[in-house]
Amino acid sequence: MKYHTQSPASTGTSVIGITFNDGVLIASDDLVSYGTLARYRNIPRVLKVNEQTVVGCGGDFADFQHLSKIIEQKQIDEEANNDGFTLTPKALHSWITRVLYNRRSKFDPFWNTWVVGGLQDGKPFLGYVDMLGTAFVDRAVATGYGEMIAKPLLWEAVEKKESITEEEAKDLIAKCMSLLFCRDSRAFPKYRIAKVTKDGSVIEGPFEVNVDWSIAAHVQGYE
Amino acid sequence: MQRSLNNSETLSGIIQKPQFSPYTDNGGTVIAVGGKGFVIIGCDSRLSSGYTINTRFQPKLFKLTPQTVLGSAGCWCDVLTFVRLIEARLKMYSYEHNKTMSTPATAQLVSIMLYYKRFFPYYVSNLVAGLDEEGNGVVYSYDPVGHCEQSTYCATGSSSAFIQPLLDNYVGKKNIANAEKGKLLTQEEALRVVNDAFVSATERNMYCGDSIILNIITEKGIEERVIPLRKD
Amino acid sequence: MFMTRSEYDRGVNTFSPEGRLFQVEYAIEAIKLGSTAIGIQTSEGVVLAVEKRVTSTLMVPATTEKIVEIDDHIGCACSGLMADSRTMVDRARVEAQNHWFLYNEKMSVESVTQAVSNLAIQFGDSDSDGNAMSRPFGVAILFAGVDSKGPQLYHMDPSGTYVQCDAKAIGSGCEGAQQALQEAYHRSMTMKEAIKCILTILKQVMEEKLNSTNVEVATITPGKGYHMFTKEEVEEAIKEIA
Repeated sequence: MKYHTQSPASTGTSVIGITFNDGVLIASDDLVSYGTLARYRNIPRVLKVNEQTVVGCGGDFADFQHLSKIIEQKQIDEEANNDGFTLTPKALHSWITRVLYNRRSKFDPFWNTWVVGGLQDGKPFLGYVDMLGTAFVDRAVATGYGEMIAKPLLWEAVEKKESITEEEAKDLIAKCMSLLFCRDSRAFPKYRIAKVTKDGSVIEGPFEVNVDWSIAAHVQGYE
Repeated sequence: MQRSLNNSETLSGIIQKPQFSPYTDNGGTVIAVGGKGFVIIGCDSRLSSGYTINTRFQPKLFKLTPQTVLGSAGCWCDVLTFVRLIEARLKMYSYEHNKTMSTPATAQLVSIMLYYKRFFPYYVSNLVAGLDEEGNGVVYSYDPVGHCEQSTYCATGSSSAFIQPLLDNYVGKKNIANAEKGKLLTQEEALRVVNDAFVSATERNMYCGDSIILNIITEKGIEERVIPLRKD
Repeated sequence: MFMTRSEYDRGVNTFSPEGRLFQVEYAIEAIKLGSTAIGIQTSEGVVLAVEKRVTSTLMVPATTEKIVEIDDHIGCACSGLMADSRTMVDRARVEAQNHWFLYNEKMSVESVTQAVSNLAIQFGDSDSDGNAMSRPFGVAILFAGVDSKGPQLYHMDPSGTYVQCDAKAIGSGCEGAQQALQEAYHRSMTMKEAIKCILTILKQVMEEKLNSTNVEVATITPGKGYHMFTKEEVEEAIKEIA
């Protein structure tokens, strides 16, 4: 049998995403780990595709870079066509699903989990795709540890209210990122946010995770 | 006898290394009950991976034609792919033959498309619900490699083991002395049993919950209803 | 018909300046050399009848088969180059069986005709080792059958064009026969009347005397499907028109 990549090498951890009243946010930290080693500490894992579409990616970083190149080229081709059509988040979400499913079917998967977000016909869109091609759309999504640690908070926020503001969404992202940093050993205190609103898309940050270590001194019994 | 070591084990102990599997079980339950002039097909809307819930609202029913609905649960990436392929085949059929595909024809096509992948199957439990030539409800159930069986009621997916015995007893009148066998349920009775089955399965099965999505198929068209379930 | 001979009648892929494909037109002409075949559609079913040219007393007439079964519910009558018709009949049978296999239902007559016409127009195509086909098929076919729309009769010519007909005649006697059909056909025709009509017309356009060895008759009805008349049944039918 031909040799296939059956395990990831350099990896990124969680990506989280949330929709708010007139846009979406996708956040991920700046770390790429090599096993347990915090190998590259200044690498954004969110990508602006165009003014209405952004993506975030966890898992194998080489696979992310490879697909990023293809996605960027797709965007250039679309722009060159100049026909008024652009890569929408829904289309890109579907495309990534097909690519990942086809690779898993060849037993040579792209070892990634993707979050695709943006504005689809003026409405916020947020989608998830994993390495098998499992895909769905929701108002809040998270990958990896984020699915266990951040998603309950994100869901609570979107389920409680019909819609939330950008400010509320950003506060929530900050809270989730600090929570992830506290509990996920492969997380990092520096993160970026990809934002899409009707004014276009932008990668914001890096932001520092707000963690209060002053209580550490009071923790006893583990020395 | 000496046991040989597999990939994930070494002499020093078991080392956890990610092992790739092309399949996963995302749960999901589909139930269909047919009768005179109608068929009801319902699914739960939870999509899970292990102990996590991916999303609470993922419909697993797909309207193939104005009188045929496919319900699919199992490995979600296979469901997505299979449904897209079958929708394309239905469209091609309607262009080539100038008619929409009948429910029995769709049922046969589903079977063949599943068997086509016999040696790398779609890991999916399917139900096809629709109306036959006389306009009465029919249900076709499948295994992942295309075995097909026609009936008037069936449950499939993660809660099938809980629900099928209930349907056998209540709808199929099995193991009831002097029961009037072969008598079909009315639409109201069928709706009730489908609803109760989902509510009960949700109590006992982690992979079932959030909400029921119902499609009621009659000659007039397809009516859709959403009923909330427990979210825990 | 063709006033000027030109270079444009060689290739099957070359239009003449007037916009004609001569090879296709010649193929249609070739049908007019073939034996006559007639089909009549009624509300009760479809009748097909063909003339068999028995050119020698030493020939076994039963070996020329011009009406064939495609599926239980479809039959067809051919006129023209019979060798070409074999290829097309094969395709029709394969398509009908494949449809049944895929969809567990009978293929409609129109769909069978469409599938065969897809084959008929492939004469211009080429693949990696040259032309797949060198010329159009020299046959016209009458497809007769019963499907969900009821009894159906379709006519297809070498260009791959197909038309649904109430009644149609092809082959050498087609002009006279078509004229006769025009006058005799009416929508309320019964099967019995149609069989009588079809044999009467065939008798008129045939050079030889009509008998049970030089004619083939088949019916396709909702009840019995495709049914080829036995020698006795043909004799019975001929007696009716005598």
